[in-house]
Amino acid sequence: MDAFLSGLKGAVDTLGATVLLPVVIFIIAVILGAKAGKAFRAAVTIGVAFIGINLVLGLMLGAIGDAAQAIVKNTGIHRDIVDVGWPSAAAIAFGSSVGLWVIPIGIAVNVLLLVTRLTRTLNVDVWNFWHFAFIGSLTTAATGSLGYGLVAAALMAALALLFADWSARAVQQFYGVPGVSVPHLASAQILPIAIVLNWLIERIPGINKIDVSTETVERRLGVFGEPVVLGLFIGLILGILAFYNAGDFSTIIAKVLQTGMTLAASMLLLPRMVKILMEGLLPVSEAAHEFVAKRAGDRELLVGLDSAILIGHPAAISSSLILVPIAILLSIILPGNRVILFADLAVIPFIVALTAPVLRGNVFRMVIVGTVTLAVGFYVANALAPLFTSAATASGFKMPANAVQITSIVDGFLWISYVVVEAIQNLAVAGLVLLAVIIGGCFWLYRRNTAAWERAAGATDDETAEAA
Amino acid sequence: MSLQKTVLFACGTGIATSTLVSHAVVEAMKERGIKIDARQCKTTEVRSMLTGVDLVISTTQLPTDLGVPAITTLAFLTGRGKPETLDKIEATLRA
Repeated sequence: MDAFLSGLKGAVDTLGATVLLPVVIFIIAVILGAKAGKAFRAAVTIGVAFIGINLVLGLMLGAIGDAAQAIVKNTGIHRDIVDVGWPSAAAIAFGSSVGLWVIPIGIAVNVLLLVTRLTRTLNVDVWNFWHFAFIGSLTTAATGSLGYGLVAAALMAALALLFADWSARAVQQFYGVPGVSVPHLASAQILPIAIVLNWLIERIPGINKIDVSTETVERRLGVFGEPVVLGLFIGLILGILAFYNAGDFSTIIAKVLQTGMTLAASMLLLPRMVKILMEGLLPVSEAAHEFVAKRAGDRELLVGLDSAILIGHPAAISSSLILVPIAILLSIILPGNRVILFADLAVIPFIVALTAPVLRGNVFRMVIVGTVTLAVGFYVANALAPLFTSAATASGFKMPANAVQITSIVDGFLWISYVVVEAIQNLAVAGLVLLAVIIGGCFWLYRRNTAAWERAAGATDDETAEAA
Repeated sequence: MSLQKTVLFACGTGIATSTLVSHAVVEAMKERGIKIDARQCKTTEVRSMLTGVDLVISTTQLPTDLGVPAITTLAFLTGRGKPETLDKIEATLRA
């Protein structure tokens, strides 16, 4: 088995995602019952998407890399870990050796937990299985073992379902989405932080009275929600910091404006490329949906969806608009930080959305919790950047010559990624067992006292609530 | 005669769930004789994307004062209530 796995990892590393992933996706789609023609087109589309992502990533890393080097020379501030955004992270994850297996693994874990009645969530959001593959591929990058990565991915699939069940009632009540849960690690990771901080804020006189209205925030800061404009502004600022002394006035202007436009372009183009990847995965995701639904029996199940369905809420939008400048400020003032934020500034809503039920949509508290979570995230990102970068290289992405490292807020900022990678790196098999025991223990505790857990996540009591 | 309409699909990223919904709606409406010019965006960009749009379909909450018909639905993601939602979309587009 070990020889097989390492042989497989070797094949992935040489062939790369553009060749191997289409083949694997085709096979999985056909096994799950998709039509061969549709599966074939989808598979080729996925390969194309990888080429597209690679092109845009090269463009973006080139521009930011040059600017970052110049800034280091000008100011002595080291900011050489570039935030390449979740689109790149997703592509790295699906393109990794763990990514090839993540769809069958995710489905198997879900079916197993449904059959044993440990979860109520049917996770149809196959696209977001990349989060499991991502943590798995970091594990593989850290240990060199594909087996560890696969087990880590399976554990993350289970953990996502636990978070989904736990937050389901709060999400349904607050966001008004019946029958739905959100098995999304990047959004769920903030939940424990939010619960603790909220408890603290409640106990500070004065602070516990503050609330902020959402509409004014949205109108005033709306521009931070538009990626092109945000990309341009960040590009211009980086350009000025990098090239203010780059020669005569016209050279400076040209360089600054070029950096701005290049970054505006990558902010728009990178997600477009990932949309192609998404389109390629659609037939697989549809087939997986049918496959699992057929085997789940006629039990009333929660349908696990992308947390994208929560992002439109005014509280989520407003608090993330405020958090964008705060995040940039944090990247400048946090001691020891080397991360430049860029592409993932647009996905801060995903980080804070699940706090809204706990914090009753109080934007002031969401911003505080978000700030703390991001601050923790910066240190996670700094620690994980070397692994992130080598995982990207292993998936066939070309890193630019100016030797930058890469990260992203989703999922490079997640404490969950850090804990998993550290546990396995230091304790090997014992680390995996420890993680499995912790996650299993949480499942057990949740089953024993479901109502209390749900209240903690922000569900309000109604007549149906009873101690389980 | 087939009808040609422009529909804006919105979700939190403008990538993930809106792609899924747009594929489902475009195909279903083609069968019902309505040709759809599909556009996609993030919920935060909806306001600046409204020019020429006949209907907005979103998987997440939208502002209420758009001035364009809008439907927020999870039917295409969960698989529940899909036919009803398609009927509603067709009715709105033919109105």
